[in-house]
Amino acid sequence: MNIAVCVKQVIDTEAEKRLDPATWRLDRNVTCILNPYDEYAVEEALRIKEAHGGEVTAVCMGPQKAEDAVRKSLAMGVDSAVLVVDEALTGSDVQATAYVLAEALKGIQWDLVIFGVRSTDGETGCVPAAVAERLGVPLLSTLAKVEVQGSSVAVHRETEQGYVSYECPLPAVLSVIKGINEPRYPSMKGIMGAKKKPLDVKDASALGLDTAQVGLSGSKTKVLSARIPEPRKAGVKIEDDGTGAQKIVEFLASQKLV
Amino acid sequence: MTETRDVMEVDVLFVGGGIASLSSALHLSKLIKAHNQKGDGKKLDEVTIAVLEKGFSIGAHGISGAVMAPGPLKELVPDFLEKGAPLEGEVKKESVYLLTKTGKIKSPITPPPLNNHGNYVVSMARLNQWMGGLVEDNGVDLFPEFAGVEVLYEDGRVIGVRTGDKGIDAGGDKKPNYEPGTDLHARVTVLGEGSRGSLTKDVIAHFKLDAGKNPPGFEVGVKEVWQLPEGRIEPGEIIHCMGYPLKSDTFGGGFVYGMKDNLVSVGQLTSLDYSDPFIDPHREFQRFKLHPLVSALLKDGRLIQYGAKTAPVGGYFSVPKLAFPGGVIIGDAANLFNGMKIKGIDLAMRSGMLAAQAIFEGLVADDLSEARLAGYEKAMADSNEMKNLYKVRNFHQAMTRGLYLGLTTVALQYVFGGRVFKNRLPATPDHAHLKKVTEKYGTATPSAEAVGDVKYDKQLTFDKETDVYYSGATHEEAQPSHLKIESFDVCYGPCTEQFQNPCVRFCPAGVYEMTVDEATGKRSLKVNFSNCVHCKTCDVKDPFENIQWVPPEGGGGPKYTVV
Repeated sequence: MNIAVCVKQVIDTEAEKRLDPATWRLDRNVTCILNPYDEYAVEEALRIKEAHGGEVTAVCMGPQKAEDAVRKSLAMGVDSAVLVVDEALTGSDVQATAYVLAEALKGIQWDLVIFGVRSTDGETGCVPAAVAERLGVPLLSTLAKVEVQGSSVAVHRETEQGYVSYECPLPAVLSVIKGINEPRYPSMKGIMGAKKKPLDVKDASALGLDTAQVGLSGSKTKVLSARIPEPRKAGVKIEDDGTGAQKIVEFLASQKLV
Repeated sequence: MTETRDVMEVDVLFVGGGIASLSSALHLSKLIKAHNQKGDGKKLDEVTIAVLEKGFSIGAHGISGAVMAPGPLKELVPDFLEKGAPLEGEVKKESVYLLTKTGKIKSPITPPPLNNHGNYVVSMARLNQWMGGLVEDNGVDLFPEFAGVEVLYEDGRVIGVRTGDKGIDAGGDKKPNYEPGTDLHARVTVLGEGSRGSLTKDVIAHFKLDAGKNPPGFEVGVKEVWQLPEGRIEPGEIIHCMGYPLKSDTFGGGFVYGMKDNLVSVGQLTSLDYSDPFIDPHREFQRFKLHPLVSALLKDGRLIQYGAKTAPVGGYFSVPKLAFPGGVIIGDAANLFNGMKIKGIDLAMRSGMLAAQAIFEGLVADDLSEARLAGYEKAMADSNEMKNLYKVRNFHQAMTRGLYLGLTTVALQYVFGGRVFKNRLPATPDHAHLKKVTEKYGTATPSAEAVGDVKYDKQLTFDKETDVYYSGATHEEAQPSHLKIESFDVCYGPCTEQFQNPCVRFCPAGVYEMTVDEATGKRSLKVNFSNCVHCKTCDVKDPFENIQWVPPEGGGGPKYTVV
């Protein structure tokens, strides 16, 4: 059972988010981390490997410094990694990213591809679907439970009401949600070991990519404008001196809410 | 169930990834490399050097004013400019003011101890991050997100430290992702934990390294970095202030340091030997910003980052014995800080480099005995940095007497090179200085005006919650609190009665919150440990020594990038 787990480096949840007004791209020159949702994907891949054997390969597209995120997955226990780095890929949208990841995935052995449900920066959650489409395999998204049974996989797919059970033959692409497991901490030995694990850095030409389909120019999504939302204004505080209810009604009435 | 705990062997282990450890690790790795290239004597093959850092990354817990005397950096990294050292600006313009509430008296000359020509304004977080890169490039293993939590002793010597367990829930039970800490065994353990290091405290007590010394003394620095409109302040321009907002019986001072790209570092130091239980160092800093000198500078600017940290200002006589069986103490952890010049980076780097020299010689001689490591202590005593510290040996004790008497004493001391009070002025621990509310104010309910309360406008002044947000501080919520309250009975009993729970005020991160049930009058203390910015003020200042700061799960705490 070989598994590929797709990971992304995102800017830290606490870091200040800034958009470059020239390109509307996120300024990544701040603290960056492994996408928190991807930690669940890595953990799930490792658990399946521990139960069924095989190898786990991390696949990542990003700038050179994304190596830190990839190393973290290796420190957690992933066996090897492919990192696609190329200036030409900068600004790729969902489709372009999926094209790159799918081409990278074609170069390695896998029965399952596992994604985190979405990235905390792009927030589309669409890349797993686009990759599955490009690879021509089924997609099972937003999973709260994954169980490999021989040559198929049984899953719980989270819905607003509860979950739906599916069974699907392999190979397949999965995306998993927060809470499916408790991601492990990289141990010190894991971190030391990760330094020696194979990490294959590839550029666009090594993957034979058509550069017309990648990067800002190759993306079909065009960002026309963006703005930081206005900070929320302070609310009205009503002290209850016995006439609180009356004041609330008056306030609601003044806002034409009652 | 017996758990398996990994044991890892290294040659030299640094606990704490600040400037002292990084300088030391860099120097050591360079000395070893040069030795091996020269080919004289026994080759030092595969000497493993590891650095533990409790923060999320190297630099994440780095915070200081800061103005750096560049001497040690120039020696350690001669090509620091080519290597892109993150210097904010060389100090070319500086002024010193005595502030009154709305006025200012400019000192006609810069007092010599505060003369900073040739020094650089730096961001400690940025400098540490940069140094971390150099250290790693030299083959040193850096372990961010790992805190040393326990000293390992064997046969009368330190043999290493244990890192913290991860994956323990608030109730102390193991979560599914429980990961036991690693026992790191080392031939030499270097404690570079910074101000009020928790393992350093343990080692000092274990070997009685502070026998015959003054107790340590601390100031807490509270600061913000702001983005300003173009042209307000030059990179490297510095302003030091005394007086307002601190009352004259409390020592401290404000600072304004110009950084690159129209950033400015603004902060306030409050000496923790204060006696007024209503002092709130965060609030004092907010009041400093209300002074026209500062508010005009910050107008239309924007808060970027907040942080707080204690600085060990106890001075020469509070420096413990620096070597012990199995290791050494360097930098702020050893109270190597010049409180009069408000400088510690040069001392931290120097101590790290001299410790590295002694360790290197010990590795070559295959002798890492205490006697060998004590060579570091001797070399330190002979260093210029230490001689300067000796000259101002009674500064901290003098300033405890209040601003004006203290300044007079200090001026005399300075002019006469420390010969007025030749001998040591005694000191008592900071926590013992706190006076009872009634004793200080003559009433149990002093007015907001007497206390110095301010309303935070969220433009210029910010409450603790807002500021903490700008420190990036977070902790895994599902873990036991790392602020150990020994007895809640003390909190609700004598501490409430005598001091009205100063922890809610002295903590600059709003960790301690006291709620009173209106119906029953019952008090309950909430410890918001996730807010903690790791400044250690509570560990220093609690009047009953009822709070013990221990390292939380690795990776927690502030995420500093420019402070």
